[in-house]
Amino acid sequence: MLRADINELLTRTGPGTPMGELFRQYWMPAILSDELPENDCPPVRVKLLSERMIAFRDSEGRYGLMDEFCAHRGASLWFGRNEGSGLRCPYHGWKYDVTGQAVEIPSEPENSTFCAHVKLTSYPLVKVGDLLWTYMGDPEKRPPLPEFEFATVPPEQTYSSKRWQECNWLQAFEGGIDSSHVSFLHSGGLKSDPLFKGAKGNEYNMADLKPFFEVADSEGGLFVGARRNAEDDSYYWRITPWVMPCFTMVPPRGDHPLHGHFWIPIDDENCWAYSFDYHPVRPLTATEVQAMKDGHGVHSENIPGTYRPAANKDNDYLIDREAQKRGDTYSGVKGIAMQDASLQESMGPIVDRTKEMLVSADSGIIKARQLLKRAVEALRDSGVTPPGVDPAHHRVRSAAVVLPRDAAFAEACREDLSVREGVPQTSV
Amino acid sequence: MSTAFRPILGNSCARATTSTEMRYRIDRPILGRQGARIIGLDTGADAIVQRISEEPWGHARFFSLAGSVGEIGDGGSESVALRGTDGAESNLLAELDDADVVIMVATTDADGAAATIIGAACTVRAIMTAGLVIGDQALVGATVAAVRPHARVLMVSGEPHDVVDLLSALRA
Repeated sequence: MLRADINELLTRTGPGTPMGELFRQYWMPAILSDELPENDCPPVRVKLLSERMIAFRDSEGRYGLMDEFCAHRGASLWFGRNEGSGLRCPYHGWKYDVTGQAVEIPSEPENSTFCAHVKLTSYPLVKVGDLLWTYMGDPEKRPPLPEFEFATVPPEQTYSSKRWQECNWLQAFEGGIDSSHVSFLHSGGLKSDPLFKGAKGNEYNMADLKPFFEVADSEGGLFVGARRNAEDDSYYWRITPWVMPCFTMVPPRGDHPLHGHFWIPIDDENCWAYSFDYHPVRPLTATEVQAMKDGHGVHSENIPGTYRPAANKDNDYLIDREAQKRGDTYSGVKGIAMQDASLQESMGPIVDRTKEMLVSADSGIIKARQLLKRAVEALRDSGVTPPGVDPAHHRVRSAAVVLPRDAAFAEACREDLSVREGVPQTSV
Repeated sequence: MSTAFRPILGNSCARATTSTEMRYRIDRPILGRQGARIIGLDTGADAIVQRISEEPWGHARFFSLAGSVGEIGDGGSESVALRGTDGAESNLLAELDDADVVIMVATTDADGAAATIIGAACTVRAIMTAGLVIGDQALVGATVAAVRPHARVLMVSGEPHDVVDLLSALRA
């Protein structure tokens, strides 16, 4: 369980909230770069940390992210004309550049200086990998750009998608470090998902349904290790890194690509689940990319033209009770992503953690909450920069490895859990 | 979704996840955990356990080892003498009678033999075990190695307050 006041502290991310201030210390995914595919393309509505914004790409290819609403009468700039290096409100023609600076106010006399005093709140929007990232904090404290490996490998080695998840970011994120649910909820996927199946590690996974867990601090957050019996003298370890506040990676399977997530608050009752797959040393195959686009692995099949999953709360996630009975899927919901989302959304928009009955196997979640709380309070009370801001903390990998029974994963896998250029992931 | 049944009420389909519908969840008192036993495995851990025991808890009971446990396999004995933080003498088997989780706390000098016996006794009785090793990761390697085989969940942390956080989360 978690005290009600701490639950509030960690789940509210709007402007002026302590957790919102924590998120504002980091570069965060704002949209996929594909959403602004070319210069002067249509703008995109963006809501992050309970702020409504508009993203656009101007005639010179510069990206902008600013207040959605025109300073004049409050009309949405989503209706705007993206032309001549700026976004023009169609209501009265006010035009803004990518910094939110008004550059034309047609009703004012020529040579008027009035527009120099009109500027919308704006944030930087920068392409790194397949994503456009923003930083919504104090410009003076803007950190270096993110260095997560999935975003820095060559484009042919990485694929990202996103989906709307209709619940608070924290309960979605907590699924990412909850290793004990995998042997149940996702057990069907280990046998059939093209992005998981065939790995030797899957056999260890399915043969031992009662893993032991080990949680160790890392510079940017935590490593959560789950160990299962492998051979007589060895354990099969699956190690999940968490980098604060909301980046997690799934331990790999065989030579399948590595994958992971960001959970970014839209508002307090909705979040974006960004999901990525990449391979550190080889291009993704056409078959792999097609599987990702089809919603396999950690990705979802979305309603065309939207980022809402085709299986969603309005259709009971297309639950298939026959598939559940047959064991094709454990819950009857198809796909890893929606298996997680269906249950996390069912908990309510913000789960009441005062009603939980946690067990010690939930130690990763318990520890992560405490680290978040301490980081929020240290930032609020003393201005301490939280873990995960430094790009050095981003250079982590997940790993799956067989170790002698007396080996400690944190020491034995120190190199495996770090990005090593040109070296493949450690996987079984 | 089955075509034979179309949900018509707000609470009869997966859409019932709104704040409004959350108000209709059964609001029952939640019982605390009945059988948490917290055992310090070395002097540093005893100090942490002693301090933590002074906070208000439900049914949790806190102990240190009353003496060195000695060699493992001492006749297969499960006899470990414990001393409660209130000074009362007890022993492991008595404390496991109504336990549902045993949390072993250690720092840099854990009694590995005690961890072995406690872990084995819990396994036989299907009691969950957890180990919290408190200290700098570079200094607690031997302790981690001693506790790891006997704790289904092992947390290595530089922060003693993690013991409190874990116990609070478990409703101890």
